[in-house]
Amino acid sequence: MTQSINIVIVGLGGVGTILAERLCRFLNFSQDYSAEILLVDGDQYEMKNFERQEFSGMGNKAETKADELAMKFSNIEFDIFDAYINEENIAQVIKENTIVFVCVDNHKSRMIINNYCMNLQDVTVISGGNELTDGNAQLYVRKGGKDLTPDLCAYHPEIANPDDKLPDEMSCEELSQSEPQLYFTNLGVATLMCWMFYNSVVKGQHDRSEVYFDILSMNSNSKIRIVKE
Amino acid sequence: MGATFTREQLEAKTAVELKRMCVDELAIPGMTKKAKDIVIDAILAKFGASSGTIAKAAKPADKMAGVAFQAQSVLTKPSAPFGSKTSTTIQVSCGASTGNFPVAGRSVKEVGEFLREVLNVDKLSTGLVNGKEVGADYTLKPGDTLEYLKPAGKKGC
Repeated sequence: MTQSINIVIVGLGGVGTILAERLCRFLNFSQDYSAEILLVDGDQYEMKNFERQEFSGMGNKAETKADELAMKFSNIEFDIFDAYINEENIAQVIKENTIVFVCVDNHKSRMIINNYCMNLQDVTVISGGNELTDGNAQLYVRKGGKDLTPDLCAYHPEIANPDDKLPDEMSCEELSQSEPQLYFTNLGVATLMCWMFYNSVVKGQHDRSEVYFDILSMNSNSKIRIVKE
Repeated sequence: MGATFTREQLEAKTAVELKRMCVDELAIPGMTKKAKDIVIDAILAKFGASSGTIAKAAKPADKMAGVAFQAQSVLTKPSAPFGSKTSTTIQVSCGASTGNFPVAGRSVKEVGEFLREVLNVDKLSTGLVNGKEVGADYTLKPGDTLEYLKPAGKKGC
């Protein structure tokens, strides 16, 4: 008997495009799941993105990616939300019993998503991010109104009190200044997030709720985090 | 002939006397803040009536280049088989980097400064000992694990 799962992927850039393709490939051919996936992004694909981001057309990222994935993976239902997530619209995007993949590029979005999900009864949040050659992924699981793992902010004050802005709060000049990123690092983050999905959703295991990796030292390290009272 | 001790002899002394013996005569480090029974176990492991005799105090380890730092070992399992009596190192990690270092008896702040470049520890990193947040002055005990929290990656789009 197949299980219905509702997935939201927030951010269809370097990490999100890689993640979406791999996740859809797994779900499309799974006998166990019937998936509906909502893609969320307010940005547009540009040619300069092609170095790191996987897409086959221009236009809004959520819409373009949904069209592309729907062509490849006919067993999955796709929907789109073509705006940046914020405190006003988040309730339209994330519902109870959703699995949320956070593939954004700012901590303020992570904070907004985290704080909203802390008030849901049942939700799974898998968040990933990177710097140039290292990154991490975090797992936040809530069941029956209780945290089974720490929320994204519990051990990360830089997410709880972000010093950055949402994309639609930034000026054109700020938007044009982007820090360099490496495709292989985005790939590492997306891979960790897929591992977390498999462990948590498919296998029901969530004792290790954070993983770090570093390309230059060729190391990774998973952490058991204690839920704070 | 060197001195040896029995448990009865040691239990007759006060905790202060025992700790002073460890520092002044027996060269057993890390006992100043331990409970009396742990101090007795450590003395017996080295100088019990059926084990060795008092040896000269060990020469302090050479100073690490640029840092005044003395490595030390503690008999954490004195009743364990020979070769398994000591747990001399503490696992310290930051992000993906991890290693075992002889830092028992040192504070979280000291260890962070010492390992800043080795593990890329940020000056403001919070320390977790055995998974729980501790203050910078927390003194590491044998068997502790220490993690310096690394900030989450920000980018991805």
